Amino acid sequence: MAVDRRGFLKFVTGVSAGIMVTPVPWVLLDDLSIWTQNWPWIPSNVDGPNTFVSTVSKLCPSCVGMKVRLVGDRPVRILPDDNHPLSKGGISALAVAEAQMLHSPARVRRPLKRSGDGAYVAISWEEADALLAEKLGSAKGSLACVSGDETGTINEVLSAFTARAGSQNFYLMPSEIQPAAKALAAMGGEGQFGYDIENSDYVLAIGANILESWGTAIRNRAAFKDAHPHGQEPTVPYVYVGAVQGNTAAGADKWIAIKPGTEGAFALGLAHLLIKSGASSYASDFSAFASLAAGYTPEKVAELTGASADGIKALAAELQKARRPLVITGSEFGQGTPVGTVAAGMAVNLLLGGLNRPGGVKLLPVAAPVVDSALSRAQMMEKDFVAYLSRINAGKEKAPEAMLFYEANPAYGLPQADKMAEVLAQVPFKATFTTFLDETAMLCDLVLPVPMGLERLDDVATPYGSGSALYCLARPVAPMPANVRPAADYILGLAGKLGYSLGFGKWEDVLKAKAQAMGANWKSLMAGDVFVSTETVGASLSFGADLIAKSLTAKTAEGDFALAPVHKLNMGTAKTAIPPYNNKTIRRWELQGSEIYVAMNGATARKLNVSKHDKVVVSNKSGSIVARVNVFEGIMSDTVAVLMGLGHTAFDQFSKGKGENVMQLLTVGFEPGSGQSVWAMAGVNISKA
Amino acid sequence: MEAKEFKVRWVMAIDIDKCTGCGACMVACQAENNLAPVEDASFKLRVMNWLVVYELSNKQPFPDHDIAYLPRPCMQCGNPPCVSVCPVIATDKNEEGGIVSQVTPRCIGCRYCMAACPYHARYFNWFDPSWPEGMEKVLTPDVSVRPRGVVEKCTFCHHRFMQAKDKAIVEGRDPEALNDGDYVTSCAEACPNGAIVFGDVNNPDHAVYELARSQYACRLLERLHADPQVYYISRREWVRRQLDNYLENEQVKG
Repeated sequence: MAVDRRGFLKFVTGVSAGIMVTPVPWVLLDDLSIWTQNWPWIPSNVDGPNTFVSTVSKLCPSCVGMKVRLVGDRPVRILPDDNHPLSKGGISALAVAEAQMLHSPARVRRPLKRSGDGAYVAISWEEADALLAEKLGSAKGSLACVSGDETGTINEVLSAFTARAGSQNFYLMPSEIQPAAKALAAMGGEGQFGYDIENSDYVLAIGANILESWGTAIRNRAAFKDAHPHGQEPTVPYVYVGAVQGNTAAGADKWIAIKPGTEGAFALGLAHLLIKSGASSYASDFSAFASLAAGYTPEKVAELTGASADGIKALAAELQKARRPLVITGSEFGQGTPVGTVAAGMAVNLLLGGLNRPGGVKLLPVAAPVVDSALSRAQMMEKDFVAYLSRINAGKEKAPEAMLFYEANPAYGLPQADKMAEVLAQVPFKATFTTFLDETAMLCDLVLPVPMGLERLDDVATPYGSGSALYCLARPVAPMPANVRPAADYILGLAGKLGYSLGFGKWEDVLKAKAQAMGANWKSLMAGDVFVSTETVGASLSFGADLIAKSLTAKTAEGDFALAPVHKLNMGTAKTAIPPYNNKTIRRWELQGSEIYVAMNGATARKLNVSKHDKVVVSNKSGSIVARVNVFEGIMSDTVAVLMGLGHTAFDQFSKGKGENVMQLLTVGFEPGSGQSVWAMAGVNISKA
Repeated sequence: MEAKEFKVRWVMAIDIDKCTGCGACMVACQAENNLAPVEDASFKLRVMNWLVVYELSNKQPFPDHDIAYLPRPCMQCGNPPCVSVCPVIATDKNEEGGIVSQVTPRCIGCRYCMAACPYHARYFNWFDPSWPEGMEKVLTPDVSVRPRGVVEKCTFCHHRFMQAKDKAIVEGRDPEALNDGDYVTSCAEACPNGAIVFGDVNNPDHAVYELARSQYACRLLERLHADPQVYYISRREWVRRQLDNYLENEQVKG
């Protein structure tokens, strides 16, 4: 049959109309799109019964309480816990990623030993036991131990173990708690400073990044939340004084910019105005303090700090007007704070009648150690790890024969990190108990994998910043990987093998004893409850005038520009690096590819003749970093802000090789008076690369 | 065009003055909705983020500078520009509650919706999602993992809506009249500052009822008449001014 033109057109029209009418092609297209989305390499969801377990984060420095959602036996989500006093319905950007970190590529899953050629080889626990027992046995009397867990009772086990090994060299990684404890001791007090932020009616943070990383940050933010009803005047004003308009300044009702490291002078300026307006104290050294503060007139403080004299006067007037004001001092990046700075801030609280009153600073009781020969909390705070390493570096002290690290990463997290790593290299044998293969693990001869907080039984006792003494347990909610062992039980066992009697054979018994010492009920703790004490320690504090005076004689930073490191919890910590899920929270002009951006204001950029994206070298005698410039107006003039948490040389693909580690630029100095190692005031030079 | 009327209208009210930009909401969102982590997240155009926290600046030089953070989920528009352009009805707005759906198995990846969305709230899977070995065990059972080639976006954690309705039915309550707090999104739940509030804007018992009617409540690019279901609250005039393209001397609300 011949097909003529008309017939052909009819056929085409018919086919077109048919296709439009029939559902077949659309169903096929739909099916095709579904078929092409079901590939074997795309993971599928696995369902199961849901359970929720309350626990506390051992990973996040804010010790935030959390509710873990389990599907079957798999933790899938970290949720806020409305009933935990350190969560109050909120969660931190770090803790919320904790379940995913159980499967981090950087996790150590079996004991590793450094072989002759420097490579790591997997060994059995029996081999690790034998090696550790041999090395620690021969290092008796010359052992040092460093812990990165600030709130755990494991520090008692570690310090007792160190003491039984004939050494007093047990150290905590530096943080805000040590200068605060030294300030309290210098002021003649006992216990631990507690900050009753919930009951305050005026919150002034000088340096301390209270709404992001300082102290019990999530609890602080719950208080901030309650004080700021939507679309209304805040019921409690929050004022932030610091070099960078970071996360705390973004939430605060007022931001006053000061040069980094001048927090103490700023506090003294406030003290001067308060005394001038009649504030007084019965403290023995009040007159000495008053004459010291008299030198800090608003004009002088303005010159020292860069803040305006009128701004300081207005702030002092507001503090005086408030009924329950609270002043919190610290470092913008949570470490390296001079003792004198904390004492100066505390002096303002004393002048405001803020000691042991609601909404002020409380002295919280600290339980005595439960493990024989363990250091007390006060003794631990006296120990200065950075000063110890500096003494070894200067040849004033012999390097120990062996060093143990517990969840500590000094090779990354200490100031002048490379230099510190060089000093650590002088130690003949190093072993680390760690969850992740971090920079310190890469220096060690033996790497011993420990479970994460979600997989082990652990505790949190009154973290620094808390408003009351509290105690709670981290309970194991996820199955522990096969070749991973809890460090505390392991050390207790090792102590037994080496003949060191610590008085306990099981970690759980240590925790039970601790709970009893705190006055808490074990069963209730194991049910997920938190023990909170309302007790305070009575004291009449002095001002520590002598210490503050000496502290303020510290040399100003070298270099033309001040350095302001910025600490944000989404970037993780030295212990965790950047959690895989947190990479996306890094801002566009904080990191591009592997290049870090440093921030400065427009005036500073013009002074340097640089513009956004220009490459610069930021350097001082401690080190140098190459970075690109981001112009951000929320920074003190002549100051450069650098994000912490980048520049990892270990961990996994989510952290390694991204940007530079600002710790390289922080130079350690020693505070006159207290002798404490400090690095909150670093200077740098900046030049075009 | 009139927006479709719903008896229940789920709305997010975000208080910009309370947001400190910590990023907890972004991480909570990824974990809840099974978004895959990426090694290099600095190329923001290619990074999947159902919720992004943007930084706002008042553009004044130091020391008069002010900063704010703006979390941006899908706006779940009343007149969604994305819906009308979808050739396969992979995205639609027809369920009680007013959430704009996204049926990823139906999506053919044409990306018309991305071009139409004025809020850049839609993301295309350029690559197959991949998790480091073992991390897929942390996937929640509530949200399917999407392969490459499809567009995805924030769904106001729709699975939580279904769970809340189921729970109400089991308890003998009306699933169309959930109590305030019965259904909240993962980001609102995580925020330690209480900056994100979620609820039914048509129900006077829900906090968002008042918040959306606040003199300081504005919506993003409101004058496009997309009728978003996300309200931003700020007492700062400069912040509200940046939420739309105002002329220099033009008055803003509040």
